[in-house]
Amino acid sequence: MKASLKDIIESLIFVSLEPLSFDKIKSTLTEFQDEDIQIAINDLLECYSTNKRGIQIIQAAGGLLFSTNPDYDIWIKRLLNINRKNKLSPAALETISTIAYYQPITLAEISAIRGVDSTSSLKSLLQKRLVKIVGRKKGPGRPLIYRTSNRFLTYFGLQSISDLPSQEEITKILEDEKNSS
Amino acid sequence: MDISKSYQVKLEVFQGPLDLLLFLIKKKKIDIHDIPIATITREYLKYLDQKENINLEREAEFLLIAALLIHIKSQMLLPQVNALEEEKDPRQLLVDKLLDYQKIKAACSILREKEKDRLPEWHRNFLPPLSLSDNLDLIEVSLFGLAEAFFSIMKRKEQENLKTIKGKTYSVKEKIEEILSTLYKDKFLDFLDFFNKQESMEEAVLSFFCLLELIKARIVIAIQENLFRSIKVWLRKENC
Repeated sequence: MKASLKDIIESLIFVSLEPLSFDKIKSTLTEFQDEDIQIAINDLLECYSTNKRGIQIIQAAGGLLFSTNPDYDIWIKRLLNINRKNKLSPAALETISTIAYYQPITLAEISAIRGVDSTSSLKSLLQKRLVKIVGRKKGPGRPLIYRTSNRFLTYFGLQSISDLPSQEEITKILEDEKNSS
Repeated sequence: MDISKSYQVKLEVFQGPLDLLLFLIKKKKIDIHDIPIATITREYLKYLDQKENINLEREAEFLLIAALLIHIKSQMLLPQVNALEEEKDPRQLLVDKLLDYQKIKAACSILREKEKDRLPEWHRNFLPPLSLSDNLDLIEVSLFGLAEAFFSIMKRKEQENLKTIKGKTYSVKEKIEEILSTLYKDKFLDFLDFFNKQESMEEAVLSFFCLLELIKARIVIAIQENLFRSIKVWLRKENC
């Protein structure tokens, strides 16, 4: 029974476009015990990590998702006729990390921290759905408030917002930079 | 920050890059009153004149920091109207801001690394089955396919040789509302049927524009059940 539960979960992940959360699996598999599900998930992850294959299960945004093995990138690109996947522009990257650390945040606040107008990079992030609008701020002008989306977590392979590099890590990087220069 | 390349300030009390000066002022190792900002700018302009290639980003950075220095100094020179505790030390405000920004910069380099690791991983990107469809293979229609279907209908309409094109004006807003209300009611809209129902060429063209607008805004999605089959338009469910 346990073996098949593992297979069921594998099939659920297979049909999911967004990372499939434990809660979602639990609420789908009502006839199984939570502990059994947890064991089966661990089994499944173990299976995939010990036998490397063309696809792998990644853990992001608090869920499980299939992705291809990064080593086979070049053949996938050839198949799909894609020269390269676009990276975020430096401005967009700076904007999204500002949002990630200071969210919920308004456009004016983002621009103030970055010291440059961030309208267009915010727009491109919204289009990529890495950022979402969560409401309006109470105050003059009632500006829109932004947060990072689940897609942001998946994009950077983060489990949750608390996975972002911490104060200490950042301080360490800054120190390293100072020492090396 | 590459010190060897950045512009060096040379003063009696200080020699080195400008951001270091700012740092020392914050640490109160150097008194802002001792810094002749006019000299710094004059020297800097001389340096720019001599330079052949200007790195805009770096020079902009200089301008920013220099402007902040001037701001600090002017604040310090002005008589304080309310020298009460609520007014934060302008130097501290500036340094806080710089530190915040530096933090973001560092976070960027970490996120860039993570992005690099993730980019070669490909995720599935198919269309989720729609609850009402009869288990058919769905293909998302390209705009090109949509336009092709539209023109074939228009051709047919032309052959009908209608002669009454008069008087009525159509509004985009009303049309969009009409499309949306149909979608809310029937869950989907058959592309062929929809355009056949349009009274005139003008109305059909307008409807098509409205549809494109809705697709672009990601409010609706156009789906073809199979190649050469009818195209259906669905409301897109928010999945974010």
